[in-house]
Amino acid sequence: MRTLELDAPGWAGHRAGQHLDVRLTAEDGYQAERSYSIASAPGDPLAITVERLEDGEVSPYLVDEAREGDRFEVRGPIGGYFVWDADEPEPVLLVGGGSGVVPLMAMARHRARQGGSATMKLVYSSRTWDDVIFRDELDVLARGGFEVVHTLTREQPPGWSGYARRIDRELLAEVAFPAAEEPRVYVCGSTRFVDAAADGLVELGYGPRSIRTERFGATG
Amino acid sequence: METRDLVLDGNAIGGLLLELFGTDLTAAPCTCDHCGAKEEMARLEVYVQCPGVVVRCRSCGSVVITVVRGPTRTWVDLRGTRGLEL
Repeated sequence: MRTLELDAPGWAGHRAGQHLDVRLTAEDGYQAERSYSIASAPGDPLAITVERLEDGEVSPYLVDEAREGDRFEVRGPIGGYFVWDADEPEPVLLVGGGSGVVPLMAMARHRARQGGSATMKLVYSSRTWDDVIFRDELDVLARGGFEVVHTLTREQPPGWSGYARRIDRELLAEVAFPAAEEPRVYVCGSTRFVDAAADGLVELGYGPRSIRTERFGATG
Repeated sequence: METRDLVLDGNAIGGLLLELFGTDLTAAPCTCDHCGAKEEMARLEVYVQCPGVVVRCRSCGSVVITVVRGPTRTWVDLRGTRGLEL
């Protein structure tokens, strides 16, 4: 993983949850384009957090090679559906799998920056403790109405007392806000992760339309 | 990787649609011409691993939009879309 701060001339600012497209052009004219979620809070310098995917066309460059001063094309900000504004009063449930946590982190940072009063809870699935992105910052943010629930699906450190399984209906039944509180819900991760989490929430009585979803592709 | 992993959603083509239509369409309600279901673009099923982009209705699976890009022009087929609210 790597976080890159981008200096995009003319950038109009963004909302928490939005993404942008990066386009790279090779010397022979070949172009590759990928979407990356914006990790920074609105008002903070524009930053993306990128997971390096093997065999990817764009992420290996962004993670391993990009240097300060490099230039590439950026399109955005993109998204009017998977967005959260700090003045929304409802409780917010964030459900993230792997790098799907990135746009959710922008929301958590936005809340912290704005001193938002909405209660927010992040349910975050990672393979191992070392795979937890933003681990230290999440620790710091987890107070004053913001809570983080980790689950580690592949390997747990010694003495781990948290969840150790995939996010499903049973896990959500224990940690999600009751549906009656009508929370706003944002689910982001791989397609199978998002489908499982959203289906589980619907079974718990959440209205399908109250669940905002964003599915990540496996190409980078 | 399984086939299911290839099914994304309308968020994935937000940038493409922004470029084509000049406005962000991810929150725009789109009505399927086949079954009449109306969903925000972000909620529709999107297949990008084909020659072009195919957008399908999440309710009935019908094709609502296809986009094929060529070197100098882009073909957009909206036959499966009854309405798009901007």
